[in-house]
Amino acid sequence: MSVFDDIQFYLFNHHHYIDLPEDPDRYESTWVDLPNELFDPQHGHRLYRRYTRELLLAEELGFDAIALNEHHNTAYSMMPAVGVRAGYMTALTRRVKMLVAGTPVNLSWPSRVAEEYAMLDVLSGGRMEFGFPLGTGMEYWSNATAINPATARARFREGLDIVFRAWAGDGPTRYDGDFYTYRYLNTWPRPMQRPRPPCYIVGSGSQETVNLAVETGCGYSIVFTPIENQLRAFDRFRELAAERGRTVRPDELVFTVIAYVADTDEQAEIECRPHVERFFEWFHRVPPTYLSPPGYVSREEFLRRAASAALADASRATWDDMVSVGRVACGSPDTVADLIAKWAQDAGTSRILVTLQHGDMPEWKAVKNMTMFADQVIPRVRARAGTGG
Amino acid sequence: MGFDEATHRINGVDTVVLSAGAGEPLVFLHGAGTAGGFDALLPLAERFRLIVPIHPGFGGSADDPRIDEVHDYRRHYLDLFDALGLDRLVLAGHSLGGYIAATLAIDHPERITRLVLAAPIGLRVREHPTTDVFTIPAPRLAPYLTEKPELLAAEPTPEFLAERYRELTSAARLLWTSPYDRKLPDWLHRARMPALLLWGDADRLIPVGQCAAWAGLLPNAERHILPGVGHLMFGETPDAVAAVARFAEASVPA
Repeated sequence: MSVFDDIQFYLFNHHHYIDLPEDPDRYESTWVDLPNELFDPQHGHRLYRRYTRELLLAEELGFDAIALNEHHNTAYSMMPAVGVRAGYMTALTRRVKMLVAGTPVNLSWPSRVAEEYAMLDVLSGGRMEFGFPLGTGMEYWSNATAINPATARARFREGLDIVFRAWAGDGPTRYDGDFYTYRYLNTWPRPMQRPRPPCYIVGSGSQETVNLAVETGCGYSIVFTPIENQLRAFDRFRELAAERGRTVRPDELVFTVIAYVADTDEQAEIECRPHVERFFEWFHRVPPTYLSPPGYVSREEFLRRAASAALADASRATWDDMVSVGRVACGSPDTVADLIAKWAQDAGTSRILVTLQHGDMPEWKAVKNMTMFADQVIPRVRARAGTGG
Repeated sequence: MGFDEATHRINGVDTVVLSAGAGEPLVFLHGAGTAGGFDALLPLAERFRLIVPIHPGFGGSADDPRIDEVHDYRRHYLDLFDALGLDRLVLAGHSLGGYIAATLAIDHPERITRLVLAAPIGLRVREHPTTDVFTIPAPRLAPYLTEKPELLAAEPTPEFLAERYRELTSAARLLWTSPYDRKLPDWLHRARMPALLLWGDADRLIPVGQCAAWAGLLPNAERHILPGVGHLMFGETPDAVAAVARFAEASVPA
């Protein structure tokens, strides 16, 4: 069986707050401390309505799923409570699946996350999938200081254990952990999908998150990083799973791409490039202090980050950098379909998380991109089914 | 004179201990960074057996993620005092070390003959809040630490920054949740020994305004304010170590 026999496309919309001031250099960061007076609620309302239209269009166009995520204190995302957004969308959709990827368990309570997600699964009639992120370093500045980044990974692991325990359907159970004690873990409702909705650990490719995914029986969903990094993480995932006697299905690995499609390669670049550049310029503006609060990464990882100019300053990445490391699939339908098919096959994944609205891209252009992608790219990729690629 | 360096395995953690001189033991607990070294303290070794243990998670000592509250440090030092055969001692602490020293003095007043708290962290004084060091980007930290930025590396290497990140992580295990110990005001009365509060009046990290609050809570404290001196007082002026020596020597039988 090839990855193309059951290939599925997830439309990922980040819900950027766009139309920020034209003088971004006034602000060192678009995360953590960007003054919230810049958020205009009237404009925010218009943007929510716009992004709702795009998500509904995804269902109309035949995308398999829509994907939503959560970030805090940032113009990057207007979804600090992703469950609220997802609940709204369950009422407006009928068919499309929804990947919520997701509330960092550490920033809520494990029982609360289990409850919210179970509600969503029941509300949606069992259409949910969930991604569990540790949360970026930036999120740990937004929360009250109760969650120590130095223990975030251990706490995340325990929180995840509690969520899955809560969903097991054998409550009430007692839980005595290092971080949480539950006298009655007994989540009502419990999820519709059995034994549980499809779950992924969301990571950036670190050994730790890959290990966690394998150990918890979850899939792995990698955040937006260079393609080579994504491929390495999936290879590690398969190696570790094999050591444990677990066979990895193509639908357990979620692959992330930025895509733009137009009639020709040249036209696509002209239409897309300014928005992707704006995306990097604006939304990757994060000082190292916010990226790595103390203890969030090991000394060794800190050193690696300090030594890597690309990581240290992604906001200065050029278009050519982005395209050459495979961050962007931009071009004609054939170009984009060939790239995505190749990457999916290389990665051994059948789940493609695709972002089609970039930075400050206006609605008409995002709609055009989504429509062309659905009409021209998805069928070209699907046509490889049964051919082995 | 220089330090002798030894490593003691304390509860499974390799702990570096610097020592110099002979006589009555004077233990100095350092702050949340070891980059500046401790040679400035050596004049204390002329009259004392000066002991500078390096905290777990700092400098050459090993990491121990189990140490995540001040009482873990307190117990670590009780183990170390036992290992070094120290019964009664003069205890000094700077910044983070001052917080640990104050905690030891509250819980074990019988072992501490004299207490020096040099710009200690830990006490919440609402009118004079402690600067949240975690929020200060590394390139902007120097003016918060010292009035003499030349004490610090001008062009830190990635390796240097990674080591500071490691030490900041060790501090964060203790202090991320809060830089204050809400219980200190309730229990400082137990630290009955003579105490010296030593502070630079230009300290931008732990403002000198906190000194009066400590003095009001410690039953037997005197104050010594160093004019024009910042947080890294021992590197900035020999007056700091001279003040410690003068105070500590009052405990030495003539």
